[in-house]
Amino acid sequence: MAALTTTAPARPRKLLASRKTRIGILYALPVVVYLLVLFVYPIFSTLFLSLKDTDGALTLHWYADALTGVNLSVLFTTLRISAETALLSLVFGFVLANAISRLKPLWAGVAMLIVVVPHFISALVRTYGWIIMLGDKGLVNETLTGLSLPGAPFQLLYNELGVVIGTTSMMLPYTVLLLYGVMRGVDRRLLAAAASMGAGRITIFRRIYLPLVSPGLASAGLLSFILSLGYYITPALMGGPNQTMIATLINQQVMKENQWNGAAAQGVLLLLITFAGLLLVKLVTSLGASRRKRSAT
Amino acid sequence: MMELRSTLAGRIVLTAVATVILLFLALPIVVILVTSFSNNAFASFPPDTWTLNWYQALFADGSKWPAALSLSALVAALSTVFSLIIGVTAATALTRSELPLRSAVYALVLGPLVIPQIVTALGLFLLFEPAAMLGSPIAIALGHTVLAAPIAVLILIATLRGIDERLEDAAASMGAGRLTIARRITFPLAAPGMIAAAIFSFITSFDEFYISQFLSSVDTVTLPVQVYNSLTFEIDPSVTAISAILIALAILALALVALARWLGSGRQGSLLSVENTAGVANPGGETV
Repeated sequence: MAALTTTAPARPRKLLASRKTRIGILYALPVVVYLLVLFVYPIFSTLFLSLKDTDGALTLHWYADALTGVNLSVLFTTLRISAETALLSLVFGFVLANAISRLKPLWAGVAMLIVVVPHFISALVRTYGWIIMLGDKGLVNETLTGLSLPGAPFQLLYNELGVVIGTTSMMLPYTVLLLYGVMRGVDRRLLAAAASMGAGRITIFRRIYLPLVSPGLASAGLLSFILSLGYYITPALMGGPNQTMIATLINQQVMKENQWNGAAAQGVLLLLITFAGLLLVKLVTSLGASRRKRSAT
Repeated sequence: MMELRSTLAGRIVLTAVATVILLFLALPIVVILVTSFSNNAFASFPPDTWTLNWYQALFADGSKWPAALSLSALVAALSTVFSLIIGVTAATALTRSELPLRSAVYALVLGPLVIPQIVTALGLFLLFEPAAMLGSPIAIALGHTVLAAPIAVLILIATLRGIDERLEDAAASMGAGRLTIARRITFPLAAPGMIAAAIFSFITSFDEFYISQFLSSVDTVTLPVQVYNSLTFEIDPSVTAISAILIALAILALALVALARWLGSGRQGSLLSVENTAGVANPGGETV
């Protein structure tokens, strides 16, 4: 305070600023303290536990465990299922967002409601809905048998197809919302300008539209990949033994085997992959921003 | 894009594909609602006979559902209170003050939303297990608040940013104290946002599974954990009825948020128009 009051003319303003700062710090305290104690500290204690041997010495052998044998194949399964989910929700999300962005406002509103409402319904409940639908005598197989499709009824549950159907339907609202926002943000004058200079439809799509939306596509894909990584409910209920994902393994080690250190190491691995993904999202977003700026000038 | 596939055939194909994707999102929910009234739970679709048996079974003697339901409601209510306290203070700090390290605080708030929930749950388990707090509703509510508070903060930041600060300044210039401004100006305008923040915190906690599973004990089982257990261990057809109730609650909650928004939408406009009508009324006053 003494330093602030040395110059007389600037005094009222600086006093106000410092008062505003003090109020800010006071009001920010609850959230900062809460999350430091119940979010940051627990994550650090997970990290320490993953580096601690049974006798308390520093070790990396929990990570060696997590990256060998069955655990490694579970990690690869997790990455594979997440990649499949990201790809499918990106393709479906692109088609749906594109269709919605061309609808009349009323219909676009209705379609958006169908996209958004499921997002607020428990993932557990929606997974159960899929289990009812995909069973041997479920709606999907009954319909396919009714159409006398060869091979029906199909095995749609307790395999990778079932898991990917489930996780894709959970991720789809995210990709549709993100891509819809990106598509609405495309400056249509650029497309018109290209057309006026004689560019064909395919050229416009490839040279103008795609470069403008591709950063959005990339970050939507990465985001659904990251969010799928930690999935537990859908793979556990809709998959078979070959679809065990890393979250299932963490859960088993804590609940059944009392093997906390191993679970902690796998949690930290999951966290590291997530951070790498988030870093990529950030890179892609800043790339997209600079590209948009260039196209606007 | 508008020009790209404007042929009739292209448009029909696109509409058909979009409809199938929308069905992909909506059907699992519709199927649960219909099946919950079906007499032979999984045998056929659409059902041939209808019943309310599964709903009655929820409250039969020896049913585990009422206890799970009331525990989840209690936990969600606690978590909503915690989230609102944290949300209002944090959003005020982030929008109405000069905060050092603002972006670090913001990143901290976003953290729980992007980090895999299983990792958060594992950390909370390691925190509460040594304290012998597993199974305590307070511990579960504290855990849920880690996820629910950031959502409340984000909603309230958007709400406070939407309130014209000139209204608060105008009240201050006329001598209103900070408390009066908060009570008479900011709070009435922020009320729809606060209702939305409360409802979304409640749903977040009510539907939360990972943290609940890690922090629950044999006696304290929240509703989602009970649903998961009855889907994995014992096939209990009344799980369809409880799922249908959860769907109905979620839709009701969204409708309430929309209603609060709609009721609150005119308020700021009418307050701001006071200065305009005052400007118009003055010349009229001169002629009298």
